[in-house]
Amino acid sequence: MSDGEEGLTRAPDAQLVQRARGGDPTALDTLVRRHTDAAFRVALSFVRDEDRAQDIVQDAFIKAFRALDRFRGDASFKTWLLTITTNEARGALRKVKRWNEAPIEHTEPVADDRPGPDEGAVLADESARARALLERLPEKQRLSVTLRVDEGLSFREIGDVIGSSEGAARVNYFHGIRRLREWME
Amino acid sequence: MNEPTCPAEISEQISVFESGEIGPEARRELEAHLAMSAECRAELELVQALHRARPVAPSDLADRVVGAVQRHASRPQTRWARPWWGLSAAAVAALALGIGVTSNDVGSEVLDAPDFATELEEEDLWLSGDGLVAGAPALDGLSDAALAQLLEELETGDGGSA
Repeated sequence: MSDGEEGLTRAPDAQLVQRARGGDPTALDTLVRRHTDAAFRVALSFVRDEDRAQDIVQDAFIKAFRALDRFRGDASFKTWLLTITTNEARGALRKVKRWNEAPIEHTEPVADDRPGPDEGAVLADESARARALLERLPEKQRLSVTLRVDEGLSFREIGDVIGSSEGAARVNYFHGIRRLREWME
Repeated sequence: MNEPTCPAEISEQISVFESGEIGPEARRELEAHLAMSAECRAELELVQALHRARPVAPSDLADRVVGAVQRHASRPQTRWARPWWGLSAAAVAALALGIGVTSNDVGSEVLDAPDFATELEEEDLWLSGDGLVAGAPALDGLSDAALAQLLEELETGDGGSA
């Protein structure tokens, strides 16, 4: 990796977007690597299937880069990408139309009485249980919690992604986290 | 001293404790508060549990995505950006009747959203504020005014970008 390429890995998104618009493949590559995990988490929160989530992420990036000239920078690139990912995931769900019918095997609560021989195992169990319960929240609550806790987005940004106002995003987050706490107890 | 629930302002700070979106001073204040509040500590434990197990994309996904984006970028774009207000009269009529018109034809979804699209609160929001379509329009979720605006824009071709 050249000095210039290495410098790009620390460049802000806005600079990378500018360079990607100009056809810089390294800027494109850096943007993709920086935001793939976030897009994957959002996609997975809808479809709960890793293969399908990967397809959604790929489609979302393709659309984002094809529409890059229309990105005005009012929101961050990450928020913009996650909005596109959310729309892609919603579209994918509509296509398969099996959201309510499909058994959600991995969202069953993890039993509380399993032995946990060490602290690490206990923490892992608690984390797995929390994530499983997260998937049971309604869509906007689930996304609000995911985007806040995993990605650190502001409530205004979350509102942009889920198609709500900033206030609605905040309320969705608090409802979601309260409900999770009740379920975890 | 413990509160019955973790106060909203504290909960808001806790929510980004793990993602690092909290400044050093706010972090110190929060830690001082956590020392006194079992309720808030429990909420932090939940946030930490969620954050610890957050999914991570497969290691080869970024490579696949980069390759796919580059392949698409090199294709001619003859079918792109067909404006949604360029729908046929039949499609306009179908919209007026509340019949869903799917827009999942990949390659024709880069659009400009009308203002009302960002005001919707329904789960079936179909246009983002960035003007990208995903799925069929959820006409049931639109108010009379929004439907009227949609029809007017369809009729006049003034779909937002002009």
